[in-house]
Amino acid sequence: MTTASPQRSTDIELMAQLLRRAGFGATRDQIDGYLKQGYEATVHELLNPVHGEHEDQDLMDRYFVASVEARTANHADPQWAWRLATNPNPLEEKIALFWHGLMAVGGVKLDHGMEMLAEIDLFRRFGLGRFEDLLLEISRNPGMMYWLDNQNSHIGAPNENYGRELLELFSMGIDEQGEGAYSEDDVKAAARAFTGWASAVTPPPFFLGPFPMEFRFDSDDHDDSEKTFLGQTGNWDGDDIVRIICEQRATARFVAMRLYDFFVSDTPNEKEIEGLADVFEENDGEIRTVLSAIFNSDHFKSAEVRYRKMKSPSDLVFGTTRLVDRFDVPELDSGMLANNTMFMGQHLLNPPSVEGWHEGEEWVDSGALIERINFASSEISRVDGRGVQRMLTRVRNSGNELDGAEFVEACLDAMGAIELSPRTRSILVDHADSYGIPWEADASDSIDRTIEMFQLIVSTPDYQYC
Amino acid sequence: MSLQNFSYHDTIGIASFLGRGFMNPIDLRFDSTGRLFVLSRSNASNKNVRVSAQTLDSEFLYEFANWGTDPGQTTMPTALAFDSRDRLYVSDEHMNNISVFDREGNFIERWGEFGSEPGQFNRPSGLAVDSDDNVLVMDHLNSRIQKMTPDGQYISSFGSDGGGPGEFNFAWGISVDSVGDIWVADWRNDRIQRFTADGEFVSMFGSSGTADGRFDRPSGVHVDHRGQVYVADWRNDRVQVFDNRGAHTETLFGDATLSKWCQEFIAVNPEQAGWRENAGLFEEEKRFWRPSAIETNSDGLVLIADACRHRVQIYSRLNEPALT
Repeated sequence: MTTASPQRSTDIELMAQLLRRAGFGATRDQIDGYLKQGYEATVHELLNPVHGEHEDQDLMDRYFVASVEARTANHADPQWAWRLATNPNPLEEKIALFWHGLMAVGGVKLDHGMEMLAEIDLFRRFGLGRFEDLLLEISRNPGMMYWLDNQNSHIGAPNENYGRELLELFSMGIDEQGEGAYSEDDVKAAARAFTGWASAVTPPPFFLGPFPMEFRFDSDDHDDSEKTFLGQTGNWDGDDIVRIICEQRATARFVAMRLYDFFVSDTPNEKEIEGLADVFEENDGEIRTVLSAIFNSDHFKSAEVRYRKMKSPSDLVFGTTRLVDRFDVPELDSGMLANNTMFMGQHLLNPPSVEGWHEGEEWVDSGALIERINFASSEISRVDGRGVQRMLTRVRNSGNELDGAEFVEACLDAMGAIELSPRTRSILVDHADSYGIPWEADASDSIDRTIEMFQLIVSTPDYQYC
Repeated sequence: MSLQNFSYHDTIGIASFLGRGFMNPIDLRFDSTGRLFVLSRSNASNKNVRVSAQTLDSEFLYEFANWGTDPGQTTMPTALAFDSRDRLYVSDEHMNNISVFDREGNFIERWGEFGSEPGQFNRPSGLAVDSDDNVLVMDHLNSRIQKMTPDGQYISSFGSDGGGPGEFNFAWGISVDSVGDIWVADWRNDRIQRFTADGEFVSMFGSSGTADGRFDRPSGVHVDHRGQVYVADWRNDRVQVFDNRGAHTETLFGDATLSKWCQEFIAVNPEQAGWRENAGLFEEEKRFWRPSAIETNSDGLVLIADACRHRVQIYSRLNEPALT
């Protein structure tokens, strides 16, 4: 359990919680900015990003020209990492990360970084809208068609891979016994309905670099005959399959469960999930509305779920990077950020399988924990970072006569209204008290001690949760 | 897209992480003997940056300035320039310095460091050498051009941040013409600026857009010995040609054929040839993708670094009256 600071208002705590879940955390200044417009208005703003070219897209392309024609996921990394680290509307990236993990396409097979980036952008554009629209878009995504072998699905010889994963992993799901609310016949019918949906052939990338992938529908290779799918009979094609899927309660429940798991807690709450499934059904499957219900719920605001989610490697790396705020323009180090998530077990644009990543405490083993602590501790000590400078200023402005408890609280507040368990807080206070020296403005040892406290905070078990 | 004053000549290059071929070529220069030096920017994380030397007949000679931070190595190299002694200058916008090599690729020295004081750099990008062998460096995040001696001593500078005359916004490529004037690809201002050798503003042309004479992040500018101005209109994927008063005369979109190296690759990889045939994107193959820099020679050849297609496209300039 965590304890709220006696000096900090509930409003600040809630805003910080919202921004950790809907984004990658926020600096104390950002929290103050959002507080001026209020919680509900902030939720609305986060859920309604203006989609367009990132204002620094030209700079990204300039400094990382190989990522313009990204032939592999590795070449594409700098592009997405920059946006994860800097996009002013973090939910645009967070929702892309969510769908990237759910409708996983990986560079291990789809060796086409440009297409991977195009798919991430698809998730930005459609990830908060109607689920049916998203499913249709992903079903016409050439990378997905290639990833799940649909170019090998022909009339008279359907490949079931896409139809199966569409049902099992993308929409309706299966229970712990491996049973879904669909049958093998439904999988076969879906596969037939998607015959002729494929990626067009692109030239090989080995001598002129890659060419953009394109979706291709071949009506001559499409099975237009009658099919029975989830109890409905007709000459269904892929669009119909998606429509019928989205009419199912199992789909509403599956999407609600995955959203809850990603945005709320690692521990499922059946009552909350059923309620979110209702919201999904009542609002034509609009993800934005479901997320609004989540973020505005008493459950989300309760202590029950506060700091109950293990940070994913992306949460930790890009949250810390945003806090430190040392990148003015793209540079070599920013291009390497994705390497850090990979070292922690999350290779962006290259999930381990079509299942994506498992959320929760599976993220952390002893090796990953060391990577997490080393990265966060190293970054938070960068005094060249504008964010670190702002944090130092905040701590300095907290007063010259701080005792240990006040000093720890000043540091936690400056780092984005972080909360700690009583035990962790007590250990840090004891450590601060052991110095017996109050903050002395402009004294270098005060700066060193504050940086050290920042490092201790990001090294606590508490910092691994959001 | 018929050509008026140019004819397509040839293409050199193949995507390659090392040795023969290029990986994201973003600058190119001839030495005094006609060897072509191409700068591969690559992906820093893949560490395939290099300068490679080859003949116009596609004979690969050698490479140098490979990945690293030690003397003789580069990390995020951006531009090339030769002086009259065939010393090759290479700017590095990660290490914030200029490395100097001889024409055989032997490292001579490097100078420069991060900062905003005279002689310091914040992401040096475009390079040019004037008739006195002084080195002009587009110190782009300091929004200035610094004139340096060949051994890196500061001489002078001009420019500041902004969108007015004489101001720069992430400027990139620079060129010195036959009378010593300095031309600048003022990248984020989508324009070309011209200065005297002393840094006095002369003129500018261009604005944001896709019509003739408009630019979307021009990366390279080159003025040939007849005063014709070539602009790598980077995000418009084209090269625009102007007279030296800034009047648009022609636009090149790319006409590449398969280079000798590509043909050799396909010949021994028939499955790749079949794959290419099935895709059938032959028109798309011809076009520029992020053309970054231009070089010319006295034989009337115009070479364009086609960054995202890993090649150099070569045109011949047809006979035309000399520009005044």
